[in-house]
Amino acid sequence: MTVSMRRQMRNLPMALVFLLPGIVLFAAFVIGPMLYSLRISFFDWKILNPELSAWLGLENYSRALGDPIFRRSVLNTLAYSAVTVPTQIIIGVTIALLLNQKIRGKAFFRVMYYLPVITSWVIVSLLFEYMFSGQAGLINYLLRDVLAVIDKNILWLADPILAFVPIHLLEIWKGIGWVAIIALAGLQVIPQHLLEAAEVDGAGSWQRFRFITLPLLTPTLAFLFVVRTIGTLNGYISNLLITNGGDPLDKTHFVLTLMYEATFTRLDFGYGSAISYLLTVFIFIISIFQIRLLRRDVEF
Amino acid sequence: MKPISKLISFMLAGALLLVSLAACQPAATLEPEGPVTITYWHTMSDPETAQLENVIAAFEAANPNITVEATRYAYDDFKPALLTALAGEEGPDTARLDIAWVSEFADQGALMQLDGVMPGFEEIVAGTFPGPLSTNYWEGHYYGLPQNTNTQVLLWNKEVFEAGGATPPETMEEFAQVACDLTEGEEQYGYALGGTYFWAPAPIFYAMGGQIVDEDITTADGYINGPESVAAFTMLKDLFDKDCISPNLLGGGIGTADGHATGLYAMIIDGPWMVDIYKGNYPDFEVNFALIPAGPDGTTSSVVGGEDLVIFEGTEHADAAMKWAAFLLSEESQKMMAEAGVIPTLSGLTGDPSIPNYFAVFLEQLETAQARVPHPKWGDMDGAINNAFQRMLRGEQSVQTALDQAAEEIDALLQ
Repeated sequence: MTVSMRRQMRNLPMALVFLLPGIVLFAAFVIGPMLYSLRISFFDWKILNPELSAWLGLENYSRALGDPIFRRSVLNTLAYSAVTVPTQIIIGVTIALLLNQKIRGKAFFRVMYYLPVITSWVIVSLLFEYMFSGQAGLINYLLRDVLAVIDKNILWLADPILAFVPIHLLEIWKGIGWVAIIALAGLQVIPQHLLEAAEVDGAGSWQRFRFITLPLLTPTLAFLFVVRTIGTLNGYISNLLITNGGDPLDKTHFVLTLMYEATFTRLDFGYGSAISYLLTVFIFIISIFQIRLLRRDVEF
Repeated sequence: MKPISKLISFMLAGALLLVSLAACQPAATLEPEGPVTITYWHTMSDPETAQLENVIAAFEAANPNITVEATRYAYDDFKPALLTALAGEEGPDTARLDIAWVSEFADQGALMQLDGVMPGFEEIVAGTFPGPLSTNYWEGHYYGLPQNTNTQVLLWNKEVFEAGGATPPETMEEFAQVACDLTEGEEQYGYALGGTYFWAPAPIFYAMGGQIVDEDITTADGYINGPESVAAFTMLKDLFDKDCISPNLLGGGIGTADGHATGLYAMIIDGPWMVDIYKGNYPDFEVNFALIPAGPDGTTSSVVGGEDLVIFEGTEHADAAMKWAAFLLSEESQKMMAEAGVIPTLSGLTGDPSIPNYFAVFLEQLETAQARVPHPKWGDMDGAINNAFQRMLRGEQSVQTALDQAAEEIDALLQ
């Protein structure tokens, strides 16, 4: 044992004392409920009389996998991630590149791009719902009366596909600022001398971006990609407020809005818990793949 | 002091504290007559909540030992909030529940049986309307009291009707005619519904003779897809296809309350609370009510709404809770709430000079209005009808096919 290791061992009891509150809270409020809901997912759970719950084994899981509404909700959620995450990252990184230049009012622009991130989901969801109203919405007004590209109002929220337009746009708009701030941090650790050396060697601005900035930014991009994917797979509030969770015809559900409806509207706690666990497993697998795929060591 | 003696004195002090706390315990239980606080959860509107404070003050003045702590919830959050609280044994003593939920909560064993338990129960229910009272009945017992009732009637915009030279329709044939006469492209619609959930088309459905299930709630086949039900939805579907019904019912349009006041929707069907809503949002708008137009057999009908007062199983203050329940059903408190636009459930108050004039049309409509299916799975049945209505409006299925599918789905729920 080295001296430093011995010193660390001596500090261990004290470290445990300081860690204990965190561990206890984490166990009581995160791990405990998670395990409890795993148990619920194997029962036809009676919330008010748990002792009367009937054991179903994996029936809730097989029921979900065979349920067309659940399958549709999985497709909707995947489409949401596939559309919004790359768009958000491309626009966000572009903004970060612009903010990394020597321009006037940099701080002002940073604040403006970050503003959507800190606005309340509920308020902006309702705002987008009004903007996309089928009869009096701002978007219909622009398309019909200003741009004259449509001659009849579009009923955005009454259509199971078009209802996703405001939901996707809201997620992109709200996430760009966060992506830009993280990407900006990634850009600022790239050593200036590398870029200067490339410039001396005759590299143009595109070549400097393509062969120096982009490779060195890969860890940041991987991080953004993983975190935003997990975030969007957990999409919930905007859908619940804009489509009421599933309207029309249960075709616009996300996995989590369906989980909420099953659990708290129809009181089917077992089925809702099974849906939660299916989503958890799915996110876990996707995240492992993403991290494997994108993890490359970068040396400056 | 040495550290060890410090520790001992600390422990001694702690032990003494525990002993003194334990000594306090029996003193508290010796006083069963002492002041109790009961909780009451509800989903009232702003004017109703303001008036509830006066009702509580009157109750507390008459029962100085009881304090009522009222908590207001948003309607959409109420069920999850109530359930999680009950599951965690933190639920209220009493609550005002949507009439459609009572059988569901009673089925879960959450509600206290009132018949044969509550003092004066027989006299109280004898004075109430039978329709609202029936929503408290589940498997042989009463699990609540009808706290307030309501129904939906026709609202017609006078300006639009006068400009179009129309009069309020009295039959469904006239209704269909007027709806199309008062439609002008996308600028004005004769009629609008708030959505496709059953509550919206229910008055027309019942007035046309429609039924969801048989009387004993055993099957929907031959009822929700029977000829009268099909005729009701066919009329709505035809009006929708002719653009005489606003497309907002499919989702994401202008709400019926705003659209009616601004003249976009000539007719809507809604409840007594509209008077207060318009008073706040459109003070200059003149609200006009009429009975739901009569169906082919010449009778009008509508749907019964409202809330029931329930006491939760396992409450520690059952006596105080029952006193509070009896007070809410008293003429005194029912009259007070009527001032805030709440229709009383006591039949003796019909024609009482203290209740607002516009209640007359609602009380007349209530004589023929019907309750939705009192069944724990009603929420899922509502969903089945909602989706059938959507499919027929979108032209995905014929009216008959859509309702046949709804009948199958409801029958599966009844097994």
